[in-house]
Amino acid sequence: MNDVVVTVRGATRTYNEETIPVHALRGVDLEVHRGDFISLAGPSGSGKSTLLNLIGGLDQADEGDVIVDQVSLSELNENQLSDLRLEKIGFVFQAYNLLPVLTAEENVGFVMQLQGMSKTERSERARETLASVGLEDLADRRPGDMSGGQQQRVAIARAIATKPVLLLADEPSANLDSGTTEELLQLLKKLNEEFGMTIVTATHDPMVMAYTSRKINLRDGAIVVST
Amino acid sequence: MPITLLAQLSLRNIVRHRRRNLMLLMAIAVAVLTVLMANTVIRGMQYDLREQTVSNLNGHIKVHAPGYLDDPSIARGFELAAGWEPKINVSEVEGWAARIRIPAVIMSERETRGIQFVGIDPAQESISFLSKAHYDGQPLNTSSDRRIIIGKEMADQLETQVGRRLVIITQGSDGLNREAGFRIAGVYDTEGTAIEKIFVFTGVTALQNMVDAIVVTEVSVRLVDDAFQLSMLDSLLRFFADLEVKTWQQLEPLAAAFFLFAESAIYLYFFIIMTALIFGLVNTLVTSVMERVHELGMLRAVGMRPGAVVMQVVIESTFIMMIGVALGLTLGWLIFQLLPPVLDLSSFSEGFEKFGMPAKIHLRLHVSDMVLITVMSMVFGVLASLYPAKRAVKISPLEALRL
Amino acid sequence: MSDISLTDGTLTAVAIRPDIKRATPELWGVAWRNITRTKRRTWLTACGIAFAILMMTFVRSLQVGAFIGAVDNSARIMLGHIQLQHPVYEDDPAIENSIHGINDIIADVESRPGVEIVSARAQSFALTSSGERSFGAQIIGVQYEKEAVWSSLTRMQVDGRYIEGPGEAFIGSALARNLGITIGDELVILGTAVEGGVAALVADVVGTYTSGQPELDRAIVQVPLQDFQVAWTLAPDEAHTVIVIAESVADSEELAPQLGRAGLRSLNWRDLQPEMVQMMEMKLIGTYVLFILVAIIVIFSVVNSFMMIIFERTPEFGMLMAVGMRPHHIIIQLQIEALLVCILGIILGLGITAVGVGILSETGIALPAQAGELLKSMAMPERMYPVFSFGALFIAVPVMVLGTQLAALIPGLRLRHMHAVDALRSAE
Repeated sequence: MNDVVVTVRGATRTYNEETIPVHALRGVDLEVHRGDFISLAGPSGSGKSTLLNLIGGLDQADEGDVIVDQVSLSELNENQLSDLRLEKIGFVFQAYNLLPVLTAEENVGFVMQLQGMSKTERSERARETLASVGLEDLADRRPGDMSGGQQQRVAIARAIATKPVLLLADEPSANLDSGTTEELLQLLKKLNEEFGMTIVTATHDPMVMAYTSRKINLRDGAIVVST
Repeated sequence: MPITLLAQLSLRNIVRHRRRNLMLLMAIAVAVLTVLMANTVIRGMQYDLREQTVSNLNGHIKVHAPGYLDDPSIARGFELAAGWEPKINVSEVEGWAARIRIPAVIMSERETRGIQFVGIDPAQESISFLSKAHYDGQPLNTSSDRRIIIGKEMADQLETQVGRRLVIITQGSDGLNREAGFRIAGVYDTEGTAIEKIFVFTGVTALQNMVDAIVVTEVSVRLVDDAFQLSMLDSLLRFFADLEVKTWQQLEPLAAAFFLFAESAIYLYFFIIMTALIFGLVNTLVTSVMERVHELGMLRAVGMRPGAVVMQVVIESTFIMMIGVALGLTLGWLIFQLLPPVLDLSSFSEGFEKFGMPAKIHLRLHVSDMVLITVMSMVFGVLASLYPAKRAVKISPLEALRL
Repeated sequence: MSDISLTDGTLTAVAIRPDIKRATPELWGVAWRNITRTKRRTWLTACGIAFAILMMTFVRSLQVGAFIGAVDNSARIMLGHIQLQHPVYEDDPAIENSIHGINDIIADVESRPGVEIVSARAQSFALTSSGERSFGAQIIGVQYEKEAVWSSLTRMQVDGRYIEGPGEAFIGSALARNLGITIGDELVILGTAVEGGVAALVADVVGTYTSGQPELDRAIVQVPLQDFQVAWTLAPDEAHTVIVIAESVADSEELAPQLGRAGLRSLNWRDLQPEMVQMMEMKLIGTYVLFILVAIIVIFSVVNSFMMIIFERTPEFGMLMAVGMRPHHIIIQLQIEALLVCILGIILGLGITAVGVGILSETGIALPAQAGELLKSMAMPERMYPVFSFGALFIAVPVMVLGTQLAALIPGLRLRHMHAVDALRSAE
């Protein structure tokens, strides 16, 4: 069994903003192994978010290749990329991005619904997952009736309920106070250590970096420090 | 495609913005109501016109001798044996009537007019307007009744009244003019005046005696339902092989043209009203998409295909349409129940009667039209969602990351 | 670029001061910037308003064009644009109710501007016979040289030809059929002359016409005016009507009142074609009903639109209130925005009408050939020329302006009780 989950080879990405090309990534190489808990750090514009997007299949590299779970992303079309994200990757967003019209349980369950799972199975799995993030009592609440920390836990539950090979988190602590951030990081650490979940976060929060097992620093679209 | 999820999301988003969607639903309901109401009036006029045309001595199908239509004289009559009524499609037939109808000149002490002189068997005329007209005086009794009935408008023109005598000149079977005096039994009043100015009736036997020919010039049949017209036409073409068999549409091409035109009026109204609606619908849908850029971006990020995102917009539009249409149709149906069955415009515009237009409209609500409106509205709902959907399909999963 | 960006908030805050009166010009400017900020929504809303206006002006222009066309067409068949008659002739068309001195009248009217041609007619009901057959018909004595110029009846599916000299008759095809006569046959006419005398006339049928209108085809016989005058014992300058053909229907409207005088009644096209007037009024009512319904639907969507605007801009309003604006200032601001959108819609609607009618009134609209029978029966010409009809605007524009003002006010009133802090917080 191959324990490399993600391989990035010579990835470049250039955005053409108002005719001035912005080189977000200038040839990055990276390997993510099963069970890694990685932080991508660096100042704004360093390319950490771009790298995370490439790994997650939200964006495609101009040159080079990104291989996730032995699938080369550069050869996939929009629908195939969608399916890859659906089956293999869990996302946690800075703004949580929960659907306001759905309850916590439904927010966790709908990704499984997209996968075509039966109603009873996904309901059971959603409740289980909510329990694992400590929200079993709030399953029927809507996001508007929850705190930021609670919403972020629902978002994590949504991301892991489908048992992805890779969990990606973009600035997961940005909207949280330090106490809540601590709880969130412990939850992520637990997922990493107890369930072997591979996690990659993009962050500039030192608290987050302190929890991760590998720290990668980017500057001007290139990796400068990698542990 | 996870249709149930999409439907659920659409429905909840509609409920979430219920206040503004209520406005939209009311606009749709008013639009549908308008189209439906316009349609009940148009359908009413359309069917009234057909009823009138069929009743005006045409019947659904009429039989003449060849050449009669070009030269409507007694010489173009044909003989009928006793018990002549064809025993075909009996259950589909409301009644048969045989008549003589020839041009004549009528004279009062003061005035002279050209008329259509019609000999009838009063017992058979349950199929024509004569059975529904109002009479001053009395209608004809039998086919040998030697009196005449004339239209109200003609009575006014001739300055005459019930009980007076009028002289009628018409051509006999030998080609020579006959002149005879007739006493007015009754004056008939019918919807519109065009008929009243033209037709003068007497007993068919009386008229046969006057013109010296035991013939009729037309046989007209009225059917129980318009749907039987084609099969009856087919049968009659064979039964009266020597004669000319024509439908009311052939006899009155103008009325037939109006009848067909009314068929397309429903589309015209629908198009105008729905165009007024579409700007508001598109506006709301686009806003709904733009408000949810983050949400839709997230859905894309977690693996929803672009097609499913578009589908969500289409479903939302269709849902709104469906609710609005249901509301409008229900409201329309209720209003229709409350409206009088006959819309009387005579007080509204006294000119109708004067110009021979019927002032009464028998409102009609067809279930098939309600279905048509529903289907067209749904198509419209899908069309309205195309532009917003075009916006939605452009939403990148990266939108989920933006703040 | 997101449509619901709130980034312009600061700009608005600087531009609007609480002192509304002094800041009015800025208020309009800011309103304009706000409606151009959400271009798509502004256009969609304005298009709805434009459509309602278009409904009224364009459709009305088409209708008026169609009616004027039909009126003109039908005037040029037989009726004329204006008829001069004895004052009681219309109610009592007796042979005695005639007018004298027609040659002077014709000369006078023909000299006036806007007049195309003038001719006189005498008419009476009579019995027409051929061989053994007889029918009643309206006998019209015409100045055939002139009628041949203007009356389109003389050219309608004619068999044979029109009258070219005395002793000739031109009759409807249905009447010819009823009488069993063909061209070249003799027609005997028997009527009642002045003071109860017998009027007898024998004429050669030189032509028949088919107008498609049964009442014209069935019961009209035209003979030379002189023949009529002799048979009915009228004086040589005596007739029943003087028919005026104007250069246009509009010209005739101006002319008609000038031509009447003591002993001479002037009937304009409205008197001559009352069914057209009636139909026009019915159409106008129908168009207004349709317009009101379209307006209601559009106004609903304007309410909807302003609900969305307020929903999106609540945080911005909160900020404005935080810097000292009052709720009613914001409401006024929204009313101005509604007015601007409405004006945009009106200009758009009128613009389309102006361009559309401008082009179409030159080129005309060919009417579909399939509708031929139907149109012929309504005396419609083959091409229709729309006529600018902006009279309806006096109702359409106020309805739309008031409607949109109301539409903006209904959701706007909720702002009265809004507090800055709540509004700011709703930004999430």
